[in-house]
Amino acid sequence: MSETAPSLRPPLITGDKSLADVTRDICAPMDCKPTGWWWAAFIVSVLALILGVVTVWYQIATGIGTWGLNKTVGWAFDITNFVFWVGIGHAGTLISAVLFLFRQKWRTAVNRSAEAMTLFAVMCAGIFPLIHMGRPWLAYWMLPYPNTRGSLWVNFKSPLLWDVFAISTYLLISAVFWYVGLIPDMATIRDRSKAGLRQRITSLLALGWDGSARTWHRYETVYMLLAGLATPLVFSVHTIVSMDFATAVIPGWHTTIFPPYFVAGAIFSGLAMVTTLMIVARTTMHLENYITMNHIERMCLLMLSMGCIVGLAYGTEFFMAAYSGNGYEQFVFKNRAFGSMAWAYWTMVVCNVCVPQLLWIRKLRTCLPVVFVIVILVNVGMWFERFVIIVTSLYRDFLPSSWAHYTPSLVEFATFIGSFGLFFTCFLLFCRIAPAIAIAEIKGAAHLKKPPARVSIVKENAA
Amino acid sequence: MKNTRHNTPQTDGPITRPTPVGQLLTEGERVDISRRRFLEAAGFSFSLLALHGCSKSPVEYAIPFTDQPEGFIPGQARQFATTCSGCAAGCGLLVNVRDGRPLKMEGMPEHPLSHGGLCAIGQALPLGLYDSHRLKHPLYNGEPSEWWEVDKSISGVLKDLNKAPGKVRFVTSTVTSPTLQSSIDAFLNQFPDSRHVTLDADNCSAILAAHQQTHGARILPRYAFDQADVIVSLGADFLGTWISPVEFTAAWRTRRIPTKERPEMSFHVQFEGRMSLTGSNADRRFRLAPDEFSGVLNHLYTALAERASLLPVSPTRDTPHASETRATLPIPEADLAALVDRLWNSQGRSLVLCDSQNVSEQILVNAINQLLGNYGKTIDIERPSRQRQGNDGDVVTLIDELLSGNVSALFVAGTDLTHNLPMTDALADAISKVRLLVSFSERSDDFASRAHFVCPDHHPLESWMDAEPVSGIVSLCQPLLAPLGQTRSVLESLARWSGQNSSALEIVRATWERDIMPRTKSAAFQPFWDQAVHDGFVEVTPPASTAGEFRTEVVKLIPAAGAPGDYCLSLYFKVGMTDSRHAHNPWLQELPDPVTKVTWDNYVSVSATTAAKLGITDGDVVRVAIGEDGDSIELPTLIQRGQHDRVVAIALGYGVKGTDRFSAIGPQWLESRLTVDVGEPVGRNAARFIKSFEGALHHSRNDITIQKVGRRYDLATTQEHHTLEIPRNVAPHGAEVRDVVQHTTLAAFALDPHAGTPVKHGESDVQLWAEDHPKKEHAWGMSIDLNACTGCSACLVACQSENNVPVVGKDEVRRQREMHWIRIDRYYAGEEDDVQVSHQPMMCQHCDNAPCETVCPVLATVHSSEGLNEQVYNRCVGTRYCANNCPYKVRRFNWFDYAHEDSLLNLALNPDVTVRSRGVMEKCSMCVQRIEQGKIEAKRQGLPITDGQIQTACQQSCPAKAIVFGDMNDSTSTIHETQQNPRRYGVLEEFNFRQNVAYLRIVRNHKDEQAHEGGQHV
Repeated sequence: MSETAPSLRPPLITGDKSLADVTRDICAPMDCKPTGWWWAAFIVSVLALILGVVTVWYQIATGIGTWGLNKTVGWAFDITNFVFWVGIGHAGTLISAVLFLFRQKWRTAVNRSAEAMTLFAVMCAGIFPLIHMGRPWLAYWMLPYPNTRGSLWVNFKSPLLWDVFAISTYLLISAVFWYVGLIPDMATIRDRSKAGLRQRITSLLALGWDGSARTWHRYETVYMLLAGLATPLVFSVHTIVSMDFATAVIPGWHTTIFPPYFVAGAIFSGLAMVTTLMIVARTTMHLENYITMNHIERMCLLMLSMGCIVGLAYGTEFFMAAYSGNGYEQFVFKNRAFGSMAWAYWTMVVCNVCVPQLLWIRKLRTCLPVVFVIVILVNVGMWFERFVIIVTSLYRDFLPSSWAHYTPSLVEFATFIGSFGLFFTCFLLFCRIAPAIAIAEIKGAAHLKKPPARVSIVKENAA
Repeated sequence: MKNTRHNTPQTDGPITRPTPVGQLLTEGERVDISRRRFLEAAGFSFSLLALHGCSKSPVEYAIPFTDQPEGFIPGQARQFATTCSGCAAGCGLLVNVRDGRPLKMEGMPEHPLSHGGLCAIGQALPLGLYDSHRLKHPLYNGEPSEWWEVDKSISGVLKDLNKAPGKVRFVTSTVTSPTLQSSIDAFLNQFPDSRHVTLDADNCSAILAAHQQTHGARILPRYAFDQADVIVSLGADFLGTWISPVEFTAAWRTRRIPTKERPEMSFHVQFEGRMSLTGSNADRRFRLAPDEFSGVLNHLYTALAERASLLPVSPTRDTPHASETRATLPIPEADLAALVDRLWNSQGRSLVLCDSQNVSEQILVNAINQLLGNYGKTIDIERPSRQRQGNDGDVVTLIDELLSGNVSALFVAGTDLTHNLPMTDALADAISKVRLLVSFSERSDDFASRAHFVCPDHHPLESWMDAEPVSGIVSLCQPLLAPLGQTRSVLESLARWSGQNSSALEIVRATWERDIMPRTKSAAFQPFWDQAVHDGFVEVTPPASTAGEFRTEVVKLIPAAGAPGDYCLSLYFKVGMTDSRHAHNPWLQELPDPVTKVTWDNYVSVSATTAAKLGITDGDVVRVAIGEDGDSIELPTLIQRGQHDRVVAIALGYGVKGTDRFSAIGPQWLESRLTVDVGEPVGRNAARFIKSFEGALHHSRNDITIQKVGRRYDLATTQEHHTLEIPRNVAPHGAEVRDVVQHTTLAAFALDPHAGTPVKHGESDVQLWAEDHPKKEHAWGMSIDLNACTGCSACLVACQSENNVPVVGKDEVRRQREMHWIRIDRYYAGEEDDVQVSHQPMMCQHCDNAPCETVCPVLATVHSSEGLNEQVYNRCVGTRYCANNCPYKVRRFNWFDYAHEDSLLNLALNPDVTVRSRGVMEKCSMCVQRIEQGKIEAKRQGLPITDGQIQTACQQSCPAKAIVFGDMNDSTSTIHETQQNPRRYGVLEEFNFRQNVAYLRIVRNHKDEQAHEGGQHV
């Protein structure tokens, strides 16, 4: 890890911090009592989670009929939410794995929370395919396990089955990757904490980390390998998710552009969500010196580029429809833009393509309130992208006799809110029990003040 | 054994439940037991009791037959012949009876009227049979009672009536049964002043009255649509609800199939104010308000009479010329002239019909048919129909008698008198003052709730009865199970009150021995009777015709009426519902109207222009009133394409007492709405608008007003988009209209039988995996002739009955979650003045390259080696991916657990078909249970499956024989033949789904070679 012209780049950590300062600052939220803001956020999140649990219970007890679906629109909020949450997860993996491989040191400030976000987002995502089933208690039938039902097996031709593998792999790798990254920090917490429950748990989780060169060597190798494993997942998971639609015959779904389009969209939405969380964390947990404007700006630039790719994809779809000479295909796109659900389409375009163009302007992308509004709008827009793809393709397909409308039910809204409850409850707990920034990594990447002579080098490096 | 028919299990008496094990000793039989025998028996019994204590097995009551009925195999369906009682048309039925319960109604192929078809009402009979809301006891002043008590009280009152003479009136709907007719006559003969009044809610009284005048006999002629080259119908919905729709559809259909060799078909013109099912199938349809019929009839008569050089019509008055009668008509001159030409050139091969209740109009219709020489050719008055005998004059007289308080006993059978009459407070009051009110209703209907006694008749599937729907065709109804409640046949009730104690069987047999057998060549009664029970019908010599020569002198042109009102109210009957009789049948309530696709409601339909004028849209509640502040009704609006601007149409037969039972019929959950509010009936009764005028009950009137109320009401429709045209603002250039329903005209077809095929790009026969679906043994396939299909929707209910399709209620239909496996897509095209309607039955297309099959993660939908797309309910986890990916949207998802709590109603379930649970997908299986049964039967007999041996439920029921099913591998089969038909096409076949269901293109009898249906021609 050679240092190249550090003076040309803005510092990763501002505020002239020492290594000990870094440890202290980042561990601060774990040491002190939670703030009022945290409590407020936590209570709201838990309430949302409870709402979600109750509605999911009600819906499983009563039937999928409690959703607004009908004979024509068989998926709506369920799969929209699924794709939305999976997409959000992607930025976490992109930041932690892809940017790691590309030696982007600025990632160190955000990768931990991004990975946590990935994990929680994939958890949220995983719920929807489960509860969207008519008989969720039979969900295990989706797994190809040896059974006593004769030669009964799963259908390897079905993209939904591919989803099962993709999502479970993704969840597993993300969890392992996140945990492996946490090991040195767990050791730090172990070493800082007094004898007690916390020390016992952290020492268990630190897996006997002793800060030796040998430990570091093993750690770096595993981390690199896992980064290498996780990287293809950034592309494969959403490619497979996109095939749920791309392999179908429904006009508006049946299109080859979907894999790259979905991956770009996923990263786009994930970046927006990471940035949202970063801004919140930076402000509420006083991490301004670690999550600097430089970070925010880089995220904004990434988002801008992704927004443009997504915009290009939207345009390409229309071009392909026009070029195909297929009346059904042409109708779906015209209907998306000018039909009875055009409001959803234009919400998507404005939020995902128009609004991010503001980020070309440096003044705006360094202004936190503006960036915050933009990322929220991108989140909204990306949710609508999935909604538009799913619902506006389904509700008017081949035979006009079956054309229908879709109106979400209260249960669907409540379930959606519940998924946010789960996500934020997990995230807020994570902020309290694990370092939100990778202490070890950021120390390795940032140029820090020399440590005071009286502190043992060995110990500090270990931390 | 499916196709063999059986005599009633016990033809020598009413069917009883199986006799329990052991021979029961009857009274008076002597028992000889010696002391030794007694001790033996006692010892054996004691040891048995002791042994019994050791056993732990649960007590079971499986009771075997002591005498196994001949041919009875448990679990095996047997067919019994009977007659449909859904209306007076008298179609032939074969009822599948299984383990003692009638399950499925099938049309009787040999029947001379229905030819194997059956309508939705006939298919829905089992649900009425197993209805737990049917009365189980007689009622005495509304309280459950016993028969002896009711008999005693009624006989007592009747005796009094004999002493102090009073009017006894017996009201029925049309009685086609010779036995019932003679029973009623015999019963009424006891009283000095008695009369039988026939009230048909859907009356044809004017036709009978017109024949009384023109032919000297009150008869309803029998129409031969299969003999007619030109059919002109003024408002008569003969394919939907008029007189005998199944019979007429079967006949009409025979002239609607052009072939390559004979590119000919009948020409069907419909003049009507609302859009009826018949109008939707016409070659040419003119919008004409019912009060304008007389003008068209005047003109047709004058023009044809001029051709026949018969003018002047009547010496007493000056007759106008055709040019004058035409002047006021709202129909293009050229069209009328062409129609007159066509009629004149088809003398003896044409048919002019009218559903007017105006006798003078019907006389003119008769005169036109007489001019055209249709009597004796397409119109049979030698062997007339008896399917409608309602006499409005009698009904009007009855109302007067009631109002003057002269009636002392009123018996009502087969109709709900007070529901079907325009009730006033005075009439209700007068009825309540009648000394004896007796209803024979199965349910506590409106009249029954006013009656002193309700003597519930059996369900027709529980009792003996007969029918002579057409002179010379006599058929039998036989009981197919023991009565489920303590009901009693109306025949037995009447006999009891006439002092006899005979059973219904004895009464029917007596009539047949006395009246029917002498009309045949049979000499011995028992063989004749057995054969009749087996066959279900007998053709006998019709009674001598009473019709005389045509009397020209009664023919008069109809003078122009005064200025027409702003609106013309037209009361009509809906297909599948007709009068109030079937309002308690949820299958029929949930059957989408074939034209409007609305379920569970009646409504006010108006044209788009009128709606715009009134400032209303679909779902706005309007108040329709007689005059400014007369009797009124509030109903939601439905904008109907092709409706006359002045016509406001409301269906009768709704608002039936007791239908509030359906309030909570669908799934109940957080956001669900009741099907009807608690205490409110389904729809509203519009009978108050029936106009009693000049001794007739008219279904149209001009003195109405219509006002917006300001409320809204969501009608539950199964189709939201009504055309094949894409909305203009989103239509891609060159693909404005979808070619899923293909059309051509007869002229184009004659030139090229393939006319109407859309231009296709590239080869569609290229197969990547050509041998992917080798079907070595059978290749099941279906074809649907869109030219024969009228959209009558009998197949929907047939499928529902066969496949245990649940009823979901109005709210779920509103949410577009109806469960029908087969639906009929109805598309409009063209301008308001010439709306073309197409009906397309749509069900699973059983694609070989099925989009649903590849996407199911758990292989719950798979392809069979015989070309069927199979749904495995057990395996389905309910991802709905298959439904999303289905291009035809024919898959149906079980959103909830649909109600199966009514254990009596559950007897209507077909045990061959799984009742699906919540969370699984279902769809048309092509009646795989019937296919398997057919295969097993063929294998058992060691014979190959013959064409037609296996019939799907929809195919069996189709009155138009539009659906053909069979093995496409069998080169001799009909389905194989239809594959070669030049009209054959597949819906969306350009996508290479390789469906096993094909359609035959619509051919309209137009002279132009270009179809003019919104640019559908190619």
